[in-house]
Amino acid sequence: MNPISALRSLAAGALLAATALLSPLAIAAEGAYEAPLPAEINTDPELCRHVPCAEVVPGADSFSPRKGKPAYVEAYRSEGGQKTLVGYAFLSTDIVDIPAYSGKPVITLIGMDTKGIITGTKILRHSEPILLLGIPESVLTKFIRQYLGKFVGDKIEIGKAHEGEGMIGLDAITGATVTVIAQNQVIMRSGVAIARQVGILKVEPKPQIRFAPVEDTLSWAQLVDEGSVRRLTVRPEQLGMPRADQPYVDMYYGYLNTPAVGRSLLGRDGYASLMSRLKPGEHAIFIVSSGSDSFKGSGFVRGGIYDRVQVAQDMDAYTFRDLDYINLWGLQAAGAPDYKESAIFIIRDPGFSAAYPWNLVFLANKLDRETGHRDFVSFSDEYWVLGRYMDGGRPTVVKPDAPWLKVWKARKVEIALFAALLVAVAVVYAKRDALTRRSTRKNKWPVNAFKYTAWVISIGFVGFGLLAQPSITQVLTWFHSLLFKWQWELFLTDPFIFLFWIFIIVTTFVWGRGLFCGWLCPFGSLSELLYKVARGVGLGRFQFALPMKWHNRLKWVKYAAFFMLLAVSMFSMGLAEKLAEIEPFKTTYLVGLFNRSWPYTLFASGILALSIFMERPFCKYLCPLGGALAMPSTFRWFGLRRKQECSSCKACAVGCGSLAIDEHGRIDHRECMHCLDCMVLYTDEHACPPLAQERKRRTKAGLPLTPIGRDGYYIPIKPVPAQKA
Amino acid sequence: MVDPRSMTEPMTPPYASSGAAARLAAEVRDHLWPWSRSGFQRQRAIQAAGLALAVAVSLAWVLAALGQLAPAAIIGWWFGWSVFEIAVRMGSKPYVKEGPWWGSRYRRASLMDMICYVGFKNLMIGAVLFIALKSAGLLVL
Repeated sequence: MNPISALRSLAAGALLAATALLSPLAIAAEGAYEAPLPAEINTDPELCRHVPCAEVVPGADSFSPRKGKPAYVEAYRSEGGQKTLVGYAFLSTDIVDIPAYSGKPVITLIGMDTKGIITGTKILRHSEPILLLGIPESVLTKFIRQYLGKFVGDKIEIGKAHEGEGMIGLDAITGATVTVIAQNQVIMRSGVAIARQVGILKVEPKPQIRFAPVEDTLSWAQLVDEGSVRRLTVRPEQLGMPRADQPYVDMYYGYLNTPAVGRSLLGRDGYASLMSRLKPGEHAIFIVSSGSDSFKGSGFVRGGIYDRVQVAQDMDAYTFRDLDYINLWGLQAAGAPDYKESAIFIIRDPGFSAAYPWNLVFLANKLDRETGHRDFVSFSDEYWVLGRYMDGGRPTVVKPDAPWLKVWKARKVEIALFAALLVAVAVVYAKRDALTRRSTRKNKWPVNAFKYTAWVISIGFVGFGLLAQPSITQVLTWFHSLLFKWQWELFLTDPFIFLFWIFIIVTTFVWGRGLFCGWLCPFGSLSELLYKVARGVGLGRFQFALPMKWHNRLKWVKYAAFFMLLAVSMFSMGLAEKLAEIEPFKTTYLVGLFNRSWPYTLFASGILALSIFMERPFCKYLCPLGGALAMPSTFRWFGLRRKQECSSCKACAVGCGSLAIDEHGRIDHRECMHCLDCMVLYTDEHACPPLAQERKRRTKAGLPLTPIGRDGYYIPIKPVPAQKA
Repeated sequence: MVDPRSMTEPMTPPYASSGAAARLAAEVRDHLWPWSRSGFQRQRAIQAAGLALAVAVSLAWVLAALGQLAPAAIIGWWFGWSVFEIAVRMGSKPYVKEGPWWGSRYRRASLMDMICYVGFKNLMIGAVLFIALKSAGLLVL
């Protein structure tokens, strides 16, 4: 190696090392990310001692203790010694437990005036990785400010797709779709729950159930089997407590108004007595429980609210006070189990109808073993009176689409195009043999036309358009979701990343990581396209590759990066997210090169600038995702072909931009980007030395040039004895 | 002469020439049992420590099933065991499969091959055990 090359290689190596070390692990902004909150925030009646209620209800100067179920505080303004109610403040986690992308809720303080207009929102704590270093937290603050002035009863959704159809569309946050969809649910559901409770939103009465004349008397087992009695069990482990043999609560419950069910459970007299106590439009449910704890709540005091159970129907929640409670003296159904605790609760609200599905909800606090904090959680089970007990059967219920399904429907065209792209690339690669045979060393367009098209689509449509850049952070998120709270809905909310990962997993096992990394990774495509364009415009003389000696050392850095991130994520997901900034993906695609602070921009620009002179430096040496995918690539099913002569011939190795062919002609599929240059040579009778040699020999001997077989050689000429005439 | 069609030289495990069913059974055993008689002769110290570690790992799984082990500790055990298994296999079963999983081509494992194999295999086994325990309600996090 000449001294200039050595110096150049050394400089490149040093630059790579420096970029790895100086990857912008900048300081996370002081914000709500994993912000420590006082433990009392979830339990202290004086909520506003711990959170800035005045910020979300402007003009209020005093606040009541927590009241109601779910809890809220009243906000007052003092004028001339008089206190005037001006609104309400409430904590989202007192009302809903909807996780965001991180699997943890965004804890939000919400303010609302007495007419149901949202007056303020403040994020107290979140764990969203993209908002840690990628998108500034101010963008989320700006997003939730869109709710100010909106009525809680409005139908608000993310995106403008259905604006004008009775929906109000909000601007989403590019790159944080899952977070904002979850946050929309949090704010609107919380607002509706409190507005209903304080009487701002009136409940619209639903058609009431009309019972069919069924006179059966059923045993307990029959009632359970048919679903007229259902079970809701919560185990201590689900609440962060030590595992125990006995459930925390083990509740059986059912709807008692149904004549056949009520008579079976209470006996004819008991049922008649209960019904005589109910006014028209009132409903009775029973609960019996045999768990280690009480479903009524240890904090229950006479005159208070049963704060552990409620009935939910659509967006409405029905809680029970002592006046709604009747003793359940016993169960008459044959085979009824023993129980420790029992109750009959009366639902008096005309908004409830037993003709439609409803949920029994058990509310509890879950202990976070790491922090000692208690988070609000709910467990629910759906109940719907059987069709045979209803006159005319069950009514048709159209349930609203799940948020993820709305996203899939709203973006169906893009999803179809993206899926078509993935399938097309896989099919083209599966047919690579036909393409490489049409190509020669001097004309690789039959392959490159497809590959370059895939790059351009990947950069423009997939990267900048759909923001579907796979990242190691997704792997870490999945890993943690698997450990703590796996929710398919969470991953389905980003359909492009979801589909991309299916493609990556399948193709990595079939062909190795090269198809994704070499053909469809938006950043990899951009990196190599820069290299090719630079060569095309005459910068080729400045382009170089590291000597194999250095390449073989530096290629391990990406594996080390992957293992380091995996290990760190076990102790601190936040730190792992910061360290994952070694990937310049967020800066390049999700946030934009010019929308981030200078260290990130410098890092991403530096990598891209280096890509002009060196083929895919990031992919070869730094990419933790590449390292993660390279490992299963060891066991890909189908690799690229080789001939025995490849062990001594260097023709392919010299042209291998990925430096994946070693001195013995062997292809390291962990490093190969599937550019297919070596496969073009494999069947090029003018460029592949053993083939060219054979071609010349046959031509000289006047022998025909037979087609080239799968083994990369001319099909042998086998003399066949002439047939006798 | 080096065969460029394989990253390392081909190897033939004892069961390579068996029928499909016997080979499949032997491969399953291979995945789950890293030790071999010949390897034990060569690596007595490491194998003895391996057996001790196997007992410790089994205990860890029992504790995990009882909900007495934090996730980080389970992952720590998984990682520690994997490192040890790599060392054991490099001595006792130093080969990996080449090409389709249903095929019968094997080759000598380099250290990186073995890291990839053990890491990936144990991830699969860990995930299956983890999901099974969670599904059975024995592990709630």
